[in-house]
Amino acid sequence: MDILVVDDSRTMRMILQRAIRQAGYRALTVVEAENGVQALEKLRGERPKLILSDWNMPEMSGIDFLKEIRAANNRVPFGFVTSEISAEMKVLAMSTGANFLIGKPFTPEAIEEALSPILGGN
Amino acid sequence: MPNKVNAQLLETIVKSIFTTMMDLPIDQSEAPWGLGGDRLTSIVYLEGDWNGAVSLECTASQACQFAGRFLSMDPPDAVDDDVRDVLGELANMIGGNVKSAMATGVRLSMPSVVDGDDYELRICGACVQDRLAFRFIGGDFWVTLVTKKDGVPMSAVHRSTAQVN
Repeated sequence: MDILVVDDSRTMRMILQRAIRQAGYRALTVVEAENGVQALEKLRGERPKLILSDWNMPEMSGIDFLKEIRAANNRVPFGFVTSEISAEMKVLAMSTGANFLIGKPFTPEAIEEALSPILGGN
Repeated sequence: MPNKVNAQLLETIVKSIFTTMMDLPIDQSEAPWGLGGDRLTSIVYLEGDWNGAVSLECTASQACQFAGRFLSMDPPDAVDDDVRDVLGELANMIGGNVKSAMATGVRLSMPSVVDGDDYELRICGACVQDRLAFRFIGGDFWVTLVTKKDGVPMSAVHRSTAQVN
């Protein structure tokens, strides 16, 4: 697994997969999860290069998922892709250990700009 | 808490979402509110220091067109789970951007989607703040921002053969 995409919307996961491919990262393996609980299960024994996560999800929110993996001393790069990008949430995300936030709606270019510093050129 | 969201900001948010995510230009219209036949309503609730909801209402045909544009594929012939998912995600994006325009202390619910040809969705204890009609090649659809009346509990009631996801 190279990238873990976490979103409760199946169609949004499809859009993110497409955006990742459009950004040129076609060779990377992308695995999907529907919420934080499922994402934690899929992370077992894996060392992805990046996690892209929604914020507002059932079972376990994106911020609680991030808190769990940082509490486990996992430093995997983590980015939120969320419709909620208030200043309050940005502060909370970054202080919890997120690397970036991408607001919905987003362009393929916004995804590429966020991924490039972490995944390198493509 | 003052509500910073007005009709102009709501229009900007909706247009931005439809243009950016679907490459679908839309214009505001003066069409009177009302949809007949098969239709869908997606809705998210905002709770906390400000209480209200945002809904998106369109026909089944329009919802299929939105899904096709959203997923860059031919529109489905009929409403399926992907169409409902796209409608829910559109409401989630509108609600999330509305929330972001407000001050702190507001939570966003999961989206709900109702579809069918015989349903009525009433949000008890709330009133319409802004209802905007938008037009694209597939016709008119509506986005509504409702706000809780002071001192009245807010809850959603739907009736009929509708399906709720």
